[in-house]
Amino acid sequence: MHLLEVQNLTKRFGGLVAVNSVSFHVDEGEVVGIIGPNGAGKTTLFNLITGYLKPDSGRVLLRGEDITGLPPYKIANKGLVRTFQIVRPFKHLPTIANVLVALQSYRGKRRIEWIKTPERKAMEMLEDVGLSDMAMEPAENLSHGDLKRLEIARAMALEPEIILLDEPFGGLNPIETEYMVKSLQRIHLDGHTMVIVEHKLHALMRLVKRVLVMHNGEIIAKGTPEEIAKNKKVIEVYLGKAI
Amino acid sequence: MTVIKYIRRVSADLATHIYDVPPRMLASLILILMAATPFIGILELRRLDILTHINLVAILAVSWDLLVGRTGQISLGHALFYGIGAYTTAILYQYFAWPVWITVPISAIAGFCIAILIGIPCLRFKGPYLALITMAFPLAIVGFLYYYRDIFGGETGIPRPLPGLPRIFDKLLPSQRIIANYYFSLALLTISSVIIYKIATSKTGIVFVSILDDELGSKACGINTSKYKLLSFAISGLFGSLAGAVMAHTIQTNANPRYFFEKTALIPTEYSIVPIIAAILGGLGTIYGPIIGVYIYYLLNNYIFEYLIPVDKPIKIAIFVSIIIILIIKWPRGIARTIVEKLEDLEEPREVEEILKERMRKNKPEV
Repeated sequence: MHLLEVQNLTKRFGGLVAVNSVSFHVDEGEVVGIIGPNGAGKTTLFNLITGYLKPDSGRVLLRGEDITGLPPYKIANKGLVRTFQIVRPFKHLPTIANVLVALQSYRGKRRIEWIKTPERKAMEMLEDVGLSDMAMEPAENLSHGDLKRLEIARAMALEPEIILLDEPFGGLNPIETEYMVKSLQRIHLDGHTMVIVEHKLHALMRLVKRVLVMHNGEIIAKGTPEEIAKNKKVIEVYLGKAI
Repeated sequence: MTVIKYIRRVSADLATHIYDVPPRMLASLILILMAATPFIGILELRRLDILTHINLVAILAVSWDLLVGRTGQISLGHALFYGIGAYTTAILYQYFAWPVWITVPISAIAGFCIAILIGIPCLRFKGPYLALITMAFPLAIVGFLYYYRDIFGGETGIPRPLPGLPRIFDKLLPSQRIIANYYFSLALLTISSVIIYKIATSKTGIVFVSILDDELGSKACGINTSKYKLLSFAISGLFGSLAGAVMAHTIQTNANPRYFFEKTALIPTEYSIVPIIAAILGGLGTIYGPIIGVYIYYLLNNYIFEYLIPVDKPIKIAIFVSIIIILIIKWPRGIARTIVEKLEDLEEPREVEEILKERMRKNKPEV
């Protein structure tokens, strides 16, 4: 059984087919990348999987259980957690309280223990992404790079079985990107499964073993990063056809 | 070791800074001052009713602040809860002749339940749409009250086999009753605002703020936002109705149905608007701010320009409105919040060790 299985997922916005019969699967411990030009339907795909949009047809299975069309919070509590392309911090709350919100619905096995000392757990989460110095700062004072890492910490606080990252490197400078790659590698080494949507191919290729390429709502290529880099269709989509 | 160090800082800060805790010294000073008011001759004793009224409206404003300032669900019709409270207690008394001490808590619970019933359909809407719907509710209910005049009595008040609504302290002399009412309202305000404050700074309160800041993000954290929004609405309704019910039994001018249901509107729009002005005056989302706001509002409106410096009504409105506008422009973050931020620097911070110990005692892990 696959950890996450997406079957023939389709979503139309009026006449536009944003996601057209997309199928793929993710196995435990895997890191899968999804790339594609702007408007390819990557974020829509994420929204469909995590319940923010209802698909017109198709199914999403988590460990064989049908989670299609469940509300987002239920999906998150089942262990399918996402981050956002545009950061969504709770800006009035201190950084640590941002993580405490996620711990409120904490679903892990050690729930009883952590529910008693949620601050300790939240602090560990922040240390993992290197934000512990900012714990008491209101989130609105954090830089964009810090907010991106806060998103990761918040997602990790739910102890996800699989984590969907929407452009984790978006808007980061090279040093921050490097730090983020390291963080994600460490999360991967801890045995977490990840699906990453990203434009920065260089950073992405260091993380993933398998890449899906989307274009106009369809998956046009699958394979290892090397195969994808040589794929004619992919080059065509990104750079245009040779005349 | 570093973890422990950070947790110390966290606990210390959680307890003192982040959630806008009003300095304890200041809070207790104000409380003492308010408790002493009847005896130090600031007000004539017969004007003490104004303060009783202010205290009760302040409960309404504080409950509004939990819903709007902390949860971000805009309500422009908080008078609804006032109406629910006042009418529930009046009906229970007039038709069943239950004692006040039972009808008032029942009214509060009725507010809680009706808030849930109303909240389920309404809280699906966001922002201005929610504001419009909540604004419509008190107006719609007034129509309902007029239509079923056999039960609710329309504009002439509930048809009563029993004379008027009972006062809360029935056996006292009128002059003593005014003082008793005042202390009762003051105690009620203190208890309600402390409870609401505790809720707002609890783990549940953190979730409320997360909904205010970003509802989608909150959902992504696995939070059932509808449930929490409903909870906030219901708590707000509970305290709003409590204030309404007590108002019906204490303030002579408009609580006694003889006056209340005849002279003023059935559910005065004033009680929808004052919480908003008060919260913005005092500091939106501070919980303690609206109390100060309500005091400024009513002291200006009902006392200073009414008894101290009597002026004609049009002039009064002009002066009053300009003062309110100037105060809001001058302190856009709220008067109370600005003062508290200034005072925070003066007050000695509590020892980190002490707070940590206190927290550890509370959070003892299970063995």
